[in-house]
Amino acid sequence: MSRRGWFQPGPLPAANTTRKRDTRLTILGCLAAAAGLYLLEGHADPYIVHMTCIAGLFAVLAVSYNLINGVTGQFSLEPNAFVACGAYVTALLTLSPDEKAASFILEPIIWPLSVISIPLLPALIIAGILTALMAFLMGFPVFRVRGDYLAIVTLGFGEVIRVVANNAQSLTNGPLGLKGIPHLTNLWWAWGLLAVTLFVIVRLVNSSYGRALKAVREDEVAAEAMGINAFWHKMLAFTLSAFFEGVAGGLLAHLITTISPSQFTFMFTFNLLIIIVVGGLGSTTGAVLAALLFTFGGEWLRAVEEPMSLFGLDIPGIPGMRMVFFSLILVGVMLFMRKGLLGRYEFSWRWLFALFRRRPAS
Amino acid sequence: MSRELLLRASGLSCRFGGLTAVDRLDFVLAKGELAGLIGPNGAGKTTTFNMFTGRQKPSAGDLDFLGRGVIGLKPSRINQLGMARTFQNIRLFDELSVLENVLVGFHGRLKANFLSAILRLPGYAAEERRMYERAHELLELVGLSALSDERADSLAYGQQRLLEIARALATGPRLLLLDEPAAGMNPQETAGLARLVRDLRDRMELTILLIEHDMRFVMNLCERLTVLDHGKVIARGTPQQVQNDPAVIEAYLGAEAQAAGGEAPGA
Repeated sequence: MSRRGWFQPGPLPAANTTRKRDTRLTILGCLAAAAGLYLLEGHADPYIVHMTCIAGLFAVLAVSYNLINGVTGQFSLEPNAFVACGAYVTALLTLSPDEKAASFILEPIIWPLSVISIPLLPALIIAGILTALMAFLMGFPVFRVRGDYLAIVTLGFGEVIRVVANNAQSLTNGPLGLKGIPHLTNLWWAWGLLAVTLFVIVRLVNSSYGRALKAVREDEVAAEAMGINAFWHKMLAFTLSAFFEGVAGGLLAHLITTISPSQFTFMFTFNLLIIIVVGGLGSTTGAVLAALLFTFGGEWLRAVEEPMSLFGLDIPGIPGMRMVFFSLILVGVMLFMRKGLLGRYEFSWRWLFALFRRRPAS
Repeated sequence: MSRELLLRASGLSCRFGGLTAVDRLDFVLAKGELAGLIGPNGAGKTTTFNMFTGRQKPSAGDLDFLGRGVIGLKPSRINQLGMARTFQNIRLFDELSVLENVLVGFHGRLKANFLSAILRLPGYAAEERRMYERAHELLELVGLSALSDERADSLAYGQQRLLEIARALATGPRLLLLDEPAAGMNPQETAGLARLVRDLRDRMELTILLIEHDMRFVMNLCERLTVLDHGKVIARGTPQQVQNDPAVIEAYLGAEAQAAGGEAPGA
């Protein structure tokens, strides 16, 4: 019984009144978040605003990566490729022709891109669709294998994209990367994308399709025997997660304004993997929570690198000390919460109410 | 045979390297039959099921289901055509709830695409409501409705077998293949299962083929038995005929037992 309070298997046919209450609370929560963003935008210093944007985008990435890795259980290691694809496509579409001509000094940029410059929104949509298309094509060879083999094959694809970005001089400007990307991403873009991503992915996961994805994760043989075409369901999760990763990549490019292949190494994927494992593989709300903790935590931990005096002992600032602490925290999480912060559970209003109801009684 | 044919296997074989697990099996099932497939361990019964359901590609032979060849189709496709199974080693979706396990069974026949599922369009919403209703009915049928919110892996062994049956029924089968449904059940549960299986056949117009080692269960329930040994059919017929067949007695008890006037299996 103790676990059941946590356990919310999809949209249970809850009484209509509680469902209405939950919807209202969710809308209220969104409004509160919007008010918070508004205040941040007006009053917080630009650095905090920047970090909040990063946090929102990482939450998008974590939620979509979790769809294929956690919900569908297909351990893949390619999001750096999808983010890179989205970032390059969007940047190449929005940069002005003059800017591009100035950047591409070794080899001029190929023709259609050299004259195109479109607004951010259509560029993001095109980037998302192209990234999804890439995932779709990649899915055919990749999902012939599973488990460790899948991880290795996708890791390879991730590297291939980076190497391509490094060498396709006339398309990506090679190792020089793209500079002077307009700073268009603000809090509303980043967190708006998070809202859209959450809407789509939570709805999908709580639908019959989500149950089918989880069934594929739990037992592929049984899922197939129950009429679920495992391949196409993996493709659905993979393509959808690539779409959002591509769009988030595009926004990331317009937030940091400079991109180069060296930003999209395996370490990028690895950070995302840490986030979704710490959040709890398969838990969407866990992925959001962990993404926020990861982004802001990294900043808070800078405190340990400052010079300080402990018990009369003067400690000089040690650069890199926060990575030591970070690792220790990760080890701690894995020791004491082996399934991550939320395990496979989701935050739900029902759970929150049950928590408050139980407390006075005990 | 007067009744309409549902499944026909001819010359169906499965070889794993040098081992012939199933050797030129000829087998027919008519609509509405309740048949059994028995034989000693390693006789090729589960391999036969795996070939029927598309999990194992036959090395040779033909397989027709509802008048069409199904060899080479994916298991999911064969299931959608109307063949559902349970597993000898239970394969539930452990981390999903009992109700969700059954709901998954309906997914293969879902008409709404994923976009309409995300947007909860009316078509999808109606299908989803219907799924929940039917899932509750099925859980009621197998007697698990009180446990619908429990995790599947928290159920007792016998209950897990019943849940597998409910999940298989959710896929809307014409033919139900049960692989050792009574394994691990106590005598009361086995009796309940026998009632359930007979009920399913009579009321849901199902055809049922089952593998079972519990001879009393098989002899009382099945109308027709096929006995496999070392991948070959050694006997066919009613339970009485099979029970007294010397080849069956030999396969189960060995030649000496037969010479010593050994009993038929389960008699």
